[in-house]
Amino acid sequence: MGTAVTLVKDSPPEAQRARPAHPVAGTRPGRRRENLAGYLFMSPWIAGFLLLTAGPMVASLYFAFTDYDLFDSPRWIGFDNFTTMFDDPRWRKSVEVTAEYVVIGTPLKLLLALGVALLLARSRRGQAFYRAAFYAPSLIGASVSVGFVWRALFSDDAVVDRVQTFLGFRSGGWVGDPEWVLYSLVALTVWQFGAPMVIFLAGLKQVPRELYEAAEVDGAGPLRRFWSITLPMLSPVLFFNVLLETIHSFQIFGSAYVVSNATCGPADATLVYTCYLYQKGFKESQMGFASAMAWMLLLAVALVTAVLFWSQKRWVHYEEDAR
Amino acid sequence: MGNNGSVERRTVLKAAGASVAALGLAATTGCGGGGSGAGDGTVTIRYAWWGADERAKRINRSIALFEKKYPKIKVQTDFQDYVAFWEKFQTQAAGGNPPDVFQNAVGFLRKYDKRGILLDLKSQIDAGNLSLKNFRAGVEKVGQVDGKQLGIPVGSNTMSLVVDEKVFEKAGVDPKQGWTWDEYFAALKRIHDTQKVAGDTGYFSIMYLYDLYLRQNGKAFFTEDGLGFDEADLTEWWADGYNRVKAGIITDPKRVEQDKPKSSLSAGHAASEFTWDNFTVRYTAEGDSSYGLAPIPTTDGRQTGQYLASLMLSASAHTKHPEEVARFIDFMVHDPEVGKIMGYDRGILATTEQFDAFQPSDAPSKAIAQYEKDVAAAGVLGAITPHPAGADTVEAAFLRIGGDMSQGTTKVSDAVKQFFSEAKTALSA
Repeated sequence: MGTAVTLVKDSPPEAQRARPAHPVAGTRPGRRRENLAGYLFMSPWIAGFLLLTAGPMVASLYFAFTDYDLFDSPRWIGFDNFTTMFDDPRWRKSVEVTAEYVVIGTPLKLLLALGVALLLARSRRGQAFYRAAFYAPSLIGASVSVGFVWRALFSDDAVVDRVQTFLGFRSGGWVGDPEWVLYSLVALTVWQFGAPMVIFLAGLKQVPRELYEAAEVDGAGPLRRFWSITLPMLSPVLFFNVLLETIHSFQIFGSAYVVSNATCGPADATLVYTCYLYQKGFKESQMGFASAMAWMLLLAVALVTAVLFWSQKRWVHYEEDAR
Repeated sequence: MGNNGSVERRTVLKAAGASVAALGLAATTGCGGGGSGAGDGTVTIRYAWWGADERAKRINRSIALFEKKYPKIKVQTDFQDYVAFWEKFQTQAAGGNPPDVFQNAVGFLRKYDKRGILLDLKSQIDAGNLSLKNFRAGVEKVGQVDGKQLGIPVGSNTMSLVVDEKVFEKAGVDPKQGWTWDEYFAALKRIHDTQKVAGDTGYFSIMYLYDLYLRQNGKAFFTEDGLGFDEADLTEWWADGYNRVKAGIITDPKRVEQDKPKSSLSAGHAASEFTWDNFTVRYTAEGDSSYGLAPIPTTDGRQTGQYLASLMLSASAHTKHPEEVARFIDFMVHDPEVGKIMGYDRGILATTEQFDAFQPSDAPSKAIAQYEKDVAAAGVLGAITPHPAGADTVEAAFLRIGGDMSQGTTKVSDAVKQFFSEAKTALSA
């Protein structure tokens, strides 16, 4: 129940205002027994969280400050892992590759999701079919087999190569080309735009009809209606999607690992952060360094999330806002 | 929680009981599988290796023979490809739960000996459970490190040059024992000019080949605890390699990357490749042409720098059944029937019992046997040089950084610096 309380605390002030004032429950004996029952029902998950998530996290925080090769006991080295990281050219490369992937992939995916959601928002024949069809890649996109299909699609003389050669745009597969291979991964994530699209669709349904009617009466065209009504009304949903997709993008691993045939190459072109972390930890058995990398990633994601939260004051409009 | 009916005490207790039971159950299943002895004296040992399906089929047939002869020993098997195998092995070994018996190679002996993972099989040999007799050409020495017997060879192999026979013939190239590097690269150029195909798949990033080149020049890739060459040596080796990629006589690295997991040789994008001689079986299965083995080019017209290496069987120092494990290894390396089943899949059979029992009938196996006979007859085989702990990581770095360099994304001088820095870290770990 502690979580529920924090959630309320953290949610925007207007959400709290919207809630009727409620006396804080808790001390009555009946309540206490009920709480106990709740905790008991949750106990398998609490135990799982403590043993499988919290425990390993604490251990990894400790390993991050040690030299640990899995065999000998960890040796405390303070911040050495963190400082050597910045001198490691492959670590810097992995940061670069991940940043490029996030910065290119996330906006493209969200733009496509929003565009298709706008097209599908109006009722038309076969709407349910289209929604399902566009959503399907999100269900299977993360699987290893799709990674293999992707590798096959983007090789020399494969489908993509033939189409682009026919169009006279370039020749050669993307998978073996360090300049292009990352874009095949971007294409893979963009292709899975269905999940944010569904969320956008739900958001679009929430926009009150009367706003559009009023705007139309005032003579606003479709573009104007989009900028002045749809986008502001959709901004909380947009914010949610940006946040979710950005965090998700930072954690890319499976597709890079499979498309590169487990090398994260060629020439480290798909050496995304988690892939390097994996290589350091499980191939070179530098678990201390790998743990430090994991915590750096957590810090980076936290920082980006904080910046996004800070920025929402400027562009996210909640309905209750008096503007 | 808007309901106002309080939950009954009995329900709560039941729920609690159920949760505890569920947790307890999970705990037992989680820790299960540790016991490997059954009440009737039957013992189960775990055996893991890397390799393709074909190897697995042969090994399973061999194990069936073993279990027939030793009904009280059951063998549980597990196999992956090379990279996945070592990732899994490392995790298991770190957790104190490695397989009882496993396939091993020379590059890993010191690494895992240092960590106390490998059983010194000397005691089992002395106890008479495992025989070290009848190994061909002293190949049992490959498994010895610092006076310990850490692995028992199952077969011997040596680095070779695998060639696309059809392309070589059409280009009029006929490799002879003792040919020089100059002659080799001239041949590649001729193949490129006349047959419109690259000559080689990328010799410069193969650690074991560079080792041969260094040995021809009185050096070696590794010393007891470090690298046996300097930055100037590698700069020359890689700069030449890069120029040859640019000249088109080596396959475009982009191609090589996309042909994986196939070799560019069997994909028809190159006419030759340096690799272990027992791998020819693979090319024949993958490609459309016919593949043969050619001599390693030399510096002085004589020395190839070659030596016999070997895949081995090692045992875990943590095994609860060292005697059964020793008997199993003994059976796998000495039993003639096993030799007939395994063939040259893991190299030329290591013991005379198995070598004499297997009569190769397919072309690749005959070619491998002939090749090792020729190499031995030429008198060029030397002794294997040491592989310090960390050799496996260094080999992977050599391959990766050599690849980056050939793609042109890293300058040769930077690549050399990066390799030396990574090697230093790996070898000091």
